[in-house]
Amino acid sequence: MIETLTYEYPASQGVQQRAHVGVVASGNCEILLEPAADGSASIVVRTSVTGFGTTWQAVLKRFFARNPVAVRIEINDFGATPAVVALRLEQALESAL
Amino acid sequence: MRRRRKDERLARVAHVVRDGRIETKDATTVLQALLEPGDRVCLEGNNQKQADFLSRSLAAVDPAFVHDLHLLISVIGRPEHIALFERGIASHVDFSYSGPQSLRLAQQVADGRVRVGAIHTYLELFARYFVDLTPDVALVAADEADADGNLYTGPNTEETPTICEATAFRDGIVIAQVNRLVERCTRVDIPGDWVDLVVVADKPYYIEPLFTRDPELIDDVQILMAMLVVRGIYERHRVRSLNHGIGFDTAAIELILPTYGERLGLRGEVCTHWVLNPHPTLIPAIESGWVRSVHCYGGELGMERYVAARSDVFFTGRDGSLRSNRAFCQAAGLYATDLFIGSTLQMDRDANSSTATLGRIAGFGGAPNLGSDPRGRRHSTQAWLEMTSSDEEVRRGRKIVVQLVETFQESGIPTFVERLDAVELGRGAGFPIAPVMIYGDDVTHVVTEEGIAYLYRARDLDERRAALAAIAGVTPIGLRASEPQTQDLRAAGVVAFPEDLGVRRNEANRTLLAARSVRELVQWSGGLYDPPKRFRSW
Amino acid sequence: MTVLLAESFAERGARERARALLDAGSFRELIGPFERLSSPYLATQGVVPQSDDGTVVARGTIGAQRACVVATDGRFLGGSIGEIGGSKIAGALELARRDFERGSPTRMVLALDTGGIRLQEANLGILAVAEICDAIVALRLVMPVVAVIAGRVGVYGGLALSTSLCSTIIVSEGARIGLNGPDVIETESGLDEMDSSDRPLIWRVTGGRMRHEQGFASEIVPDDVAAIRSAVERAFADPHPLPALEAPAFPDPRLERDAFLRALGIEP
Repeated sequence: MIETLTYEYPASQGVQQRAHVGVVASGNCEILLEPAADGSASIVVRTSVTGFGTTWQAVLKRFFARNPVAVRIEINDFGATPAVVALRLEQALESAL
Repeated sequence: MRRRRKDERLARVAHVVRDGRIETKDATTVLQALLEPGDRVCLEGNNQKQADFLSRSLAAVDPAFVHDLHLLISVIGRPEHIALFERGIASHVDFSYSGPQSLRLAQQVADGRVRVGAIHTYLELFARYFVDLTPDVALVAADEADADGNLYTGPNTEETPTICEATAFRDGIVIAQVNRLVERCTRVDIPGDWVDLVVVADKPYYIEPLFTRDPELIDDVQILMAMLVVRGIYERHRVRSLNHGIGFDTAAIELILPTYGERLGLRGEVCTHWVLNPHPTLIPAIESGWVRSVHCYGGELGMERYVAARSDVFFTGRDGSLRSNRAFCQAAGLYATDLFIGSTLQMDRDANSSTATLGRIAGFGGAPNLGSDPRGRRHSTQAWLEMTSSDEEVRRGRKIVVQLVETFQESGIPTFVERLDAVELGRGAGFPIAPVMIYGDDVTHVVTEEGIAYLYRARDLDERRAALAAIAGVTPIGLRASEPQTQDLRAAGVVAFPEDLGVRRNEANRTLLAARSVRELVQWSGGLYDPPKRFRSW
Repeated sequence: MTVLLAESFAERGARERARALLDAGSFRELIGPFERLSSPYLATQGVVPQSDDGTVVARGTIGAQRACVVATDGRFLGGSIGEIGGSKIAGALELARRDFERGSPTRMVLALDTGGIRLQEANLGILAVAEICDAIVALRLVMPVVAVIAGRVGVYGGLALSTSLCSTIIVSEGARIGLNGPDVIETESGLDEMDSSDRPLIWRVTGGRMRHEQGFASEIVPDDVAAIRSAVERAFADPHPLPALEAPAFPDPRLERDAFLRALGIEP
């Protein structure tokens, strides 16, 4: 069973280019990040580890509160912990700026 | 009277013993004749070394003759240890750790087949061997024995001298299984005067390579946390002497000293004196000149030649091989180190931590001892004094005790919880106190992937709790942290995020590891390290 | 004593391995992650697909000559090959053959790190392997096809068969080349045949050093990017003539299909 979760947050900053980090391996995730035109951050998470919607929400909300960037993000997840997700998001953002 | 009892028992087996030696095939017969119901039997089951021939022989005695033994054992690690309870041979146990058998032990307790006296930390258990838990019979393991009963225990000396001393000098009976008999021991680790009976085992005693961590399995998050520790704690407090609890996160610290630590100019300034098993992951730091000395609790399979070749660093005998000693090493870790760092599965908001989980009775090994502040300490170091700030004329310092954890476990369960499982576990199992591994008021620092809480700097309980919440990420406890208060704590230096320490998250990757595979550790050692089969990929 | 550690090839992911094998700055990925050509079959089986299906195809130059590197990522489902990844590999090889015919030969390198065919896409994986083998032989008639087996998984199953068709096989000591995995052999044939917990045994039988000693792999390299690059360049520069393979008569798949349908009583 794959769970697909979507989130959206307000954004005020832009990014220069798209970025791709990570790999869909156990305990890890892949992130595709692209600039978005519409001044918001929209995220789609696809994960095979179901039932952690509230945790994803908390991680993403915190990240975009600290980094209000207008991006479209796809996360393909295979059980990454919040620590790994946060690190991958940081890595993706750094490559995109 | 004790001496007479001893002589009577030995007389009972005199007919199958010659010159203090038991034939391999007679081991169970001798144990059955010599032991009496209710005896206190100390069985050498340590973290690494197991007297498994003697434990198997003991598990084969007839419970009609030998039953209700009171087992004293550091680590309940073998299936036959559980068989002792199942078969009614032993009904009472005092121990320190039971990792591999924690589930089965809990089942035996639940079934009423064994009563746990108490869970101890190692040094505490050894201490009781000299007070109220002196063994009547000790079953130990050694590499060699000579005709006089002198024993060579080599790199895996561990508990043996301590167990033998307590037993021998109160007229208990010491029985040693050995791998082989020799004319003359490689060196004398236990004098023959302390040993009553020797038996050659059916196969060499079992050793577990518990302290080898494959660098290939270290991930970016662990490296980030290692950077935080090196920068925010070792550098800041000038930590010279220390003990690393085993784990991938501490292995990451060991492996970034020659790279990240070198960049910070810390070689020779910090991490010079170690209380540690011979971790293969420390090889690069030793080879790079970081390490002045290492004292070991026990040995580590595969490290024998390396240790012998580095006798300026390790404690070795005249024969060249390592001499370990768990009791002294635990004492060293308590009194003679600036810092202990370890990990846990659960932590509450007061930084009390426990690895106790429902359905298991595991104990904590050495952690409660190493992770405590020894109030008897009187010598000062910079790191120790820095932990307290006082204008009083009469003051003391404090040991640095660090808990290193990710905010969530691999299973997605938060590390930080309102209430430790240990509380309910303790109640359910009828323990007088909840099984806590390290108490919050002994903890000076907590490190997560979010940053460091310098708890020793908190002015009161509320501030401690707020500091911990500030680095507890998106766990329920972390989500209750108030942004403004977190900022205040950062400004006051009670909390530090990576950026406050100049640590860049994006630098946290495996290129920082001085060795990224077991193969590279072998290269660093100049071919002296012989990894056990399970760690080889070539 | 400090050890100057090599730049590890095995530590890199597939994309970075391809980048390392191509001349600096020449890397250009075909059907990259943002094309989102991922497996249509995994989600229904509860497995999250990866955007590039674990296979990277990149053009560039090697030794200033046109080149294409295929690299599989051993970390995604063990590097296993499904429909998309397999098609990428077969397609790249077919394009390289076509480039030769058009007068601008493309050097082809297969940096494989794969446990074999992906079980979740078994038949499509097998079909892809057939196409890959076909395309390697067709390309190899006219130019060297170089396999680099230097990852942590190695190469197994149908992809090991494909590898054996390459004109040069470069292997590292840590890589393995085999058909069935050791645990499968143990399950099927018993502990005496293969003790899958005996890691040194596994490497003695299928590891890079043994494969090189057997003559299966012509070159063994350390896990070092520079050493592997130079082995690859040597493989292309080597002037030794290719074995005289007679161009096999490849049957036209359409004719075969028609014959098959007629046998079923269906007019194509």
